[in-house]
Amino acid sequence: MKYNSRRGSLGKYKAIGGWIFVAPALFYFALFSFYPIINAFYTSTLQKDILSLQPPKFIGLENYVYLFRSEDFWKSAEATAVFTLGCFIPLATVSLLLAVFIYSRSKPFQNFLQMAYFSPAILSTVAAAVVWLLVFDPRGLANQWVNFIANTPGIDHKWLALSHMVRFSTVIIYFWKYIGYFTIIYFAGLSNIPRTYYEAAKVDGASSWTQFWSITLPLVKPTIVLVSIIAMIQCMRTFSTQYLFTESGAATEPINVITLNIYRTAMRDRYIGRASAMSIVLFFIILIFSWLQLKVSKTEKISYI
Amino acid sequence: MNKIRMIQPTRKIGKKKQAYHGVGWRFSYPGNFLIWGILVVTMGLVLTPLAFMVVSSVMPYREVMRIPFRWIPTSFHWQNYWQAIRGNDGSFIYLRNILNSFFVASMVTLTTVFISAMAGYGLAKLPFRGRNLVFILIMATMMVPFEAIMIPLYLIVTKFGWQDSYIGLIIPLMVNAFGIFLMRQFLISFPDAVIDSARIEGASEFRIFWNIVLPNAIPAVVALGILTFRQQWDNLIWPLLITQSEEMKTIPLYIVRFNSEKYTNEGALMAVAMIASLPIIILFFSMARYFTGGLTISGMKD
Amino acid sequence: MKRIFVFFVLVLIISGVFMFASENKGEAQKITLLYWTFEDPTLTRLEERFIQEFQNKYPDVTIKRSTYPSGENIEQKVLIAFAVGEGPDIINLEMRASFPYVIYGRLAPIDPEAVGYKSQEEIYNDYLEGTLNVATHEGKLYGLPEQLGSYNLLLNKKYFREAGLDPEKDYPKTWEEMLEVAEKITIREGEIIMRRAFDFRYPQYLISWLPMVQQLGGSFLSKDASRCVINSEAGLRVMQYMAEWGPNGHNFGSPTYVNARKNFNKDDGSIAMCLTGLYQTARLKVENPAFYESREWMFVPYPRFADAVSDNGCNYYSHFFMVNAEKPDYNQKSAWRFIGYMTEHPEEYMAESALIQPRKSLMKSDVFNKYPYADLFIQEIAKSYPVIHHMNALKFEELMKEAIQSVMLTGVDPKEALQRLEQKANEVILGG
Repeated sequence: MKYNSRRGSLGKYKAIGGWIFVAPALFYFALFSFYPIINAFYTSTLQKDILSLQPPKFIGLENYVYLFRSEDFWKSAEATAVFTLGCFIPLATVSLLLAVFIYSRSKPFQNFLQMAYFSPAILSTVAAAVVWLLVFDPRGLANQWVNFIANTPGIDHKWLALSHMVRFSTVIIYFWKYIGYFTIIYFAGLSNIPRTYYEAAKVDGASSWTQFWSITLPLVKPTIVLVSIIAMIQCMRTFSTQYLFTESGAATEPINVITLNIYRTAMRDRYIGRASAMSIVLFFIILIFSWLQLKVSKTEKISYI
Repeated sequence: MNKIRMIQPTRKIGKKKQAYHGVGWRFSYPGNFLIWGILVVTMGLVLTPLAFMVVSSVMPYREVMRIPFRWIPTSFHWQNYWQAIRGNDGSFIYLRNILNSFFVASMVTLTTVFISAMAGYGLAKLPFRGRNLVFILIMATMMVPFEAIMIPLYLIVTKFGWQDSYIGLIIPLMVNAFGIFLMRQFLISFPDAVIDSARIEGASEFRIFWNIVLPNAIPAVVALGILTFRQQWDNLIWPLLITQSEEMKTIPLYIVRFNSEKYTNEGALMAVAMIASLPIIILFFSMARYFTGGLTISGMKD
Repeated sequence: MKRIFVFFVLVLIISGVFMFASENKGEAQKITLLYWTFEDPTLTRLEERFIQEFQNKYPDVTIKRSTYPSGENIEQKVLIAFAVGEGPDIINLEMRASFPYVIYGRLAPIDPEAVGYKSQEEIYNDYLEGTLNVATHEGKLYGLPEQLGSYNLLLNKKYFREAGLDPEKDYPKTWEEMLEVAEKITIREGEIIMRRAFDFRYPQYLISWLPMVQQLGGSFLSKDASRCVINSEAGLRVMQYMAEWGPNGHNFGSPTYVNARKNFNKDDGSIAMCLTGLYQTARLKVENPAFYESREWMFVPYPRFADAVSDNGCNYYSHFFMVNAEKPDYNQKSAWRFIGYMTEHPEEYMAESALIQPRKSLMKSDVFNKYPYADLFIQEIAKSYPVIHHMNALKFEELMKEAIQSVMLTGVDPKEALQRLEQKANEVILGG
C-alpha cells in the first residue's frame, strides 16, 4: 500500500499535514541532535586533546584504523555484544509474557502488578547501585541465598570478581531495572486492541487460546517490534550499571562496554577524537542491527476490515 | 462526525463494576495457578531490593550494612527521614531540589508527549515524500550514545547562556526519538477508515488528531508519559553539567551529594531514595487507570 | 525539491540562532567570579563566610561559589566547561586531575602581589619545603594549596585484643608483619571473610599502592618520565604480595568487598585496620561518638617493607586553588586576591574541616599541635613522595587497577600482568 502524494489533492493535503506534524520534532532535532551528531562525526576525524588550545590536527580515518587494530576496543566490543545478547532477548520476551499474564488478571491486580514490576525503575540509579553492591558483596544476600538454595555454605560465588560472573551480575541488574518498562509498553499495546474484536470472537465461539493467537498476537506485533528494537538499542547503550560497578571495585575488563570506553577515553584520557570515532562505530553497529531487525520483522499495516 | 463515536470505558467506569477479566481470556484452574505462581515469584525477586530500601530507610546505619541482614528492624529510626530532608548541612535544600525535579520532569514530559504524538502521527498516518528518510533520521538520533554528543550540546547551551537555568535543564531534553518511535508504532494500527471518513466529513487534520486519534491512543500516551517522567526524574549527567547553584540542582545530584565520602549514612540515604520515589509511585497509580482493558469503537459500520 | 528547501530553512534558522547568541566578556565595573569546589558542609560554612568578608572589602567583586560531588563528577564538569571555553574563574582540584590544565596553559601563573607576597620566592619560603613543587611548572607556581593529604594505618584496638594481640605493641610495622597479624585477626566463614584484618584502599593505586614499590626502590616512571619502568624486581615483589593477599592466596581481602574505610567507623566487627586520612577521625566523631570517645582507635604509620631501601610512607595528594588563564586580567587579579584571602586562615581550615594546608605558620599553631595525630601525618609526608603527576596519570592508575585486579581476582601470573602493565603504559606515553 504505497501512497503517492503526487496523485490527487487529498494526497497533497496529507503530505503537507505530514510535514507540519513532523516539523516541531525535526526543528528540535536539527538543533539539539543533528548538529551535535555531525559535530561528533567531524571530531572523529581529528586528533585532539580536549584541553589543548591548539587547533586540532586533521587525521582523516586514522582514529578508526587505530580502533580496528586496538585489542582494547575489540574487548569492549565483545563486552557490549555479550551483554546485549544476554540481556535484550530475555528482556523482550519475558516482559511480553508478564504483560500477557497481567493482562489476563482483573483490574485491581493489573495496576498493582504493573507497579510492582515497574518499581525497580523508580529507585534512583545511585541508590540502586548502593543496594546491589551490598547484595553482591561476598558477605551479602546473593551469596547467602544461593548458598542456602544450593546447600553450599561459605562459598563465595565471586559475583564481582570473575569475568563471567560480573557480566552476569550486570545483566541481572539491568534486567531487574527494565523489565517493568517493557511490560508497561507491552501492556499498553495490549490495551490498544479494541475489545470488540474479542467480544466478536467470543460470540463466534472462539476459545481463549484461539483469541490469543489470531487476534492478540498479530495486533501486538508492532509493539513487539518496538520493544525488541528499543531493548536492543538500550542494551547496546548501557552505561551507568557498568560505570557504577567499575567505580566500586568490580573487575573492569569484562564489563568495559563500548559506551564506558567512550566515556573514559573522552573524560579521563581526553582523546576526544578517538572517543568520537568509537561513538560513530557504535552508532553504525546499532544502525545495522536495528535495520536487520526491521527487515526481519517487516512491519505491515494492520487492517481491521 | 456525529456518526463516529469512540467510547472510553475507563473514563465512564466509575459506577459500573468490572465484571470481566482484562480480556476475554480465561484460563483453566491449573493454568491460573501456574500464572499466579510465576507472577508472584518474579515479583518477589524484583521487589527484594526495593524491600531492602524500604526497611533500611528506618534503620540506623549500623544495621543497614549488617551481615546477615535482619529484615525486621529492631526499632524505627525515623530520624533518617529528618536527616534526609534536612541534609548534611542543615539547609533543607532537598525540598527545593524535589520541586526542581518535579518542574523539569513535568515540562519535559508534557512537551515530549505532545511533540512525539504529533510526529508519530505524521509518520504513521500522513504520507509525504521523504517520510521514510525522516523516520530513519529520527531513529538514528536514538542510536548515538549521549556521551558522544554531550560536549557539543553543552557548547550550544552555554552559547545561548542557558547554564544554571530551568531553560537549560528542560529545552535540550524536550523531545526524544524513543517517544516518537513509540507513538508511531501505536498509531500505525489505528484504522485508516476512521480517519478518512473524518476527512471526508471536513475535519481539519489537527482536529482529527486531537479529537479522534489521540483519545484512542491514551494507553500509549500514558505509557510514554510515565516512562519519560521517570527517565527525567533520574537524569544525573545533564543537570550535573548545567547547574551551578544549589537552588537549581535536581534530586539525583542531591543523592550523590548525600552519599559523599565524608557522610555515609546508608539508612538516611535510603530515606532520601524513598522520598525521591514517592512522586513516581503517586504518578503511576494516578495514571494507571488510563491503561484500559481495551477500547470500544462503535458506530462504525453503517 | 521540498526536502531540499526544508533542509535549507533549517540550516538558516540554526545559523540565525547562533548569531543571536550573545557572548558576554563584560568589562563592567562590577565583576562576578565563579568559584567551583567540592561538596563539604563544613567547608561551605567556612568559605561562604570568607566570601562575605571579601566582598565587603572589595565591593566591586561578587563571588559565586558552586559545589560538586568530589571525584569524577567535579572533574568531568570542570573538563567540559574548559573544553567549551566556559571554565570558572577559580577551581579547586586535585593536582592529579588539574596537571594537564597547567601543561596546556589553561591556568594562570600566580600573581604574588595579589596574593599578598612580594615575590614568588617568598611564597615558597612560607610553605613547607617541597610541598609546592607539584604545582610548579617551568619555574612558575600555579596555585596555593587547599589541602595536602595522605593515608596512614587506622586501627581498631578491640579486634586486636580479641585476637590476643596488644594493639600498642603488636601493630604491623612492616608488610611482612601485616601478613602475620592478618593471619591472627581474620575470621572467615568458608571462603567468605567476615572480619578482615586489613584491606587496601583499592581504587587509589597511585596514592596507596605505588609507595610500596617505591619503598623497594622501584618506581613507575623513569627519572625523565619518558618511559614506564614498573616491570622491575620491586614491582614484581609487590605484585606477588597482592597475589598472596587476595582470594587466590591467603584470602585476607579483595577489592570486591565494601571499602575498608567505609566500614571502619561502624565498629561492627568487619574490619580491624584501614588506610585512611586524618579527616576520617573528624568523621568518626560525628558518626560514632561513642567509639570516638572511647579512644579504642589509633593511627600508626604506613607499613614499610622490612628490607626497604626508601623509608617513604604513603604518597601524598594535594588540592590547589587555581585561576583560569582565559578570563580578563581584572578577574584574574581579583581571583588571586580572594585565594590569598582564603589561605590566610589555615588554622580554621584545620579546625573546621580537618584539612592540612602546609603553611609553616600552621605547623607552629596550637590548633595543629593539639590535633590528634596531625604530627604523625606531617612527619610521614615529610618522608614521602607526592603522587606522580603526568598528563596520563589517571590512565596509569586505570592500568594499574587492571593489572592488580587481574592478579588478585582472576589469578593471572604476576610477572605477566606486570609486563602487560608496563607495555600498555609505554604505549600510552607514546601517545597511543
